[in-house]
Amino acid sequence: MNKPTINRRQFIQIIALASTGWPLISQAEKKSRLITPDPSSDLTYKNLSDPWLSIAEVQEHLFPADDTSPGAKDIYALRFLRNMLDAPDTDSEEKEFIIKGVGWLNDLSVKDHKKSFIKLNSNDKESVLRKIESSRAGSRWLNLMMTYLIEALLSDPVYGGNKDQIGWQWLEHIPGFPTPTTEQVYFKLGEQANSNSQRRNRSRRAAS
Amino acid sequence: MNKDYDICVIGSGAGAGPVISELSKQGKSVLVLEKGPWFTEKDFTKDEMACCRHSTYTPKLEDEQHVLEEENNDGSWSSEPTSESGWDFWNGNVVGGSSNFMSGYFYRIKPKDFRLLSEFGPIKGANIVDWPISYDDMEPYFTKAETEIGISGKIIAHKHQEPRSTKDFPYPPTSEHPIVNKIDKACADLNLTSLPTPRAVLSTPKEKRNSCEYSGYCGSYGCHSGAKGSARAALLDDAVATGHCEIRPNSKVYKLKSNSKGQVVEALYYDADNKAQSVSAKIFVVACHAIETSRLLLASDGPRHPDGLGNNYSQLGKNLLFSAGGSGTGEFHYSEMDKLTASAMKTRGPFVNRGLQDWYYFDDKEFGGKAKGGVIDFLLRHPNPISKAMDSKWNDEGNLNWGHNLKRDLKTVFTSSQDLRFEVFNDWLPTDNCFVSLDPKTKDKWGSAVAKVRLGYHEHDLKVGEFLSAKAENVLRQMGAKNIRSSVSGSPPANLVAGGCRFGNDIKTSVLDADCKVHDVDNLYVTDGSFMPTGGSVPYTWTIYANSFRVADIIKQRV
Repeated sequence: MNKPTINRRQFIQIIALASTGWPLISQAEKKSRLITPDPSSDLTYKNLSDPWLSIAEVQEHLFPADDTSPGAKDIYALRFLRNMLDAPDTDSEEKEFIIKGVGWLNDLSVKDHKKSFIKLNSNDKESVLRKIESSRAGSRWLNLMMTYLIEALLSDPVYGGNKDQIGWQWLEHIPGFPTPTTEQVYFKLGEQANSNSQRRNRSRRAAS
Repeated sequence: MNKDYDICVIGSGAGAGPVISELSKQGKSVLVLEKGPWFTEKDFTKDEMACCRHSTYTPKLEDEQHVLEEENNDGSWSSEPTSESGWDFWNGNVVGGSSNFMSGYFYRIKPKDFRLLSEFGPIKGANIVDWPISYDDMEPYFTKAETEIGISGKIIAHKHQEPRSTKDFPYPPTSEHPIVNKIDKACADLNLTSLPTPRAVLSTPKEKRNSCEYSGYCGSYGCHSGAKGSARAALLDDAVATGHCEIRPNSKVYKLKSNSKGQVVEALYYDADNKAQSVSAKIFVVACHAIETSRLLLASDGPRHPDGLGNNYSQLGKNLLFSAGGSGTGEFHYSEMDKLTASAMKTRGPFVNRGLQDWYYFDDKEFGGKAKGGVIDFLLRHPNPISKAMDSKWNDEGNLNWGHNLKRDLKTVFTSSQDLRFEVFNDWLPTDNCFVSLDPKTKDKWGSAVAKVRLGYHEHDLKVGEFLSAKAENVLRQMGAKNIRSSVSGSPPANLVAGGCRFGNDIKTSVLDADCKVHDVDNLYVTDGSFMPTGGSVPYTWTIYANSFRVADIIKQRV
């Protein structure tokens, strides 16, 4: 079953009520701790620094490669995420929340295991992520990670994920045609293409 | 006094298209004010991110939204703006409207739908009425829509077949998925009449429009080939080519200004740069989506219409309709088929196009005898992969599902079965708890009050929906489907809306007259789904097209 989507108002309330395990930090502190992505860093997995290094580790843990199927790195999940966060319409609050989450993640890793997240073994990573999930803000953060992962796996490769259609091939998915060019990505289409709000297609009838 | 145009049409979708096309072809000057941008076939690709993950063809909810009011358990009502809930009520704000993104399951409503009250009697708590016109009045226009829009199908005789003035559809059915053989067999075993579903999709080319390319992605997507009978592809392009029709995209009408005689004199709108503009015309036609049409008229107060145009008897926005019913699914596991069958079942592209009308009307003790039912449509699960995968994001305990478990679940969902779905369409009874008003607090980005929609439903709708849903489940069972489940609820489908300006002969109980002219406004027509006093038990688009052709003929005679 789908969990009901957390709405915007609830989201703001959640942030305000965030538990100590997933701390609420003051505006000033937030500013000083916010890790700004380096615009010069390329979009591959080479020479990553935080927050992207930690995010890449989280993605691989959430979506691991195995002998027969691609993992987060194989689908270029990080490149997809960065492209989306750089899209002109992306909500700045959401972007900030994702990056801020990396700080919280590492704080918890150090507190519980005396190591940053990327240095943890798989079991410890799992326990840190499940602990994060138990707070509402943390659950929201992981939910976002998962959403972007699934989109990276199955969206058109023009968005930077699903490298060489690897996600579609793994799931034997037959895409439609024509597929979008780089000029036809959603945020370049038309005047109204300016929202990153996920549509909630609740009870929309297909045979209309 | 000189007017800028003969006709000014607000909106450009299925309700607007026929009026625009017919009047332009007659040589009248037609101006179309469309809120959204103008996309053409080359802009439409099969990109789930654009069609369905982001508001590409609809407004950003922070800019333009609705306030939805739902009933609490204690009978009180709570309202929430859609920018907070994320429950998007827009369907396609572009030239051609939401007809660009429909699946085009096309049904005529039937003779008894025009006289629901006389045929089936009243139901307590429902504002059922007869229509002021009959099926015979509408029939020529249903037929006209078949050729003008391009409807493909095949007539098979059955007990509830509505009368037709032509023998069959002008276009043969579109290609069919191999699963239809299983459906047909199961229906034959159950003594049911499996019917090919007519589609507003071209099976053969029509003038400049190509036939369907069978990409397998139809509903929710703009059509790349021109096969889908959107108002844009089927009507507007030709209207513009006459040289008499001007379409102004990105033009948001916020008020119709009326004079001391109660006539509309100007449409006031914001242009692409958000500058206020105005235009005059002899006749105004509003067709901008049932909810938005009521909203515009409510916002258009004037000297003779202090509570909005056509609202002197407080009927405006009332008796809003959705489509009642629900949907269900059954799975056909590839592991239980031979290789050839499995490969056929995996086919992507052709349509299912099968439906049942055996219970359009039925007789049942539980329903007190003669009752109104509806239609069942079969269709494959929508192929959109991201939305399909999102269901696996949560496990049964409500925790996030990740790691190898998630991957195993995804593999199963995508590769182990073909899922056949059904959708049930039955009447959404008009009630006092389903209506449009102006929200006192929430404004759109131009500062106009947004529509507030109360989403009440009648319990009877669920009873009929469950009755039909059980019948559809029987078919899936007969087909040997596994894991059959269905859901019927009072939650309205946001893409199937009508009513709000019902037509009728009495100004005290209706907004429009039988010609779809606002009773006490000499030069204002409404031609989208708003006019419908009851909805029939089918998707509305064909009826909307037909009625707009009908009203176009009426307007032609006076300008």
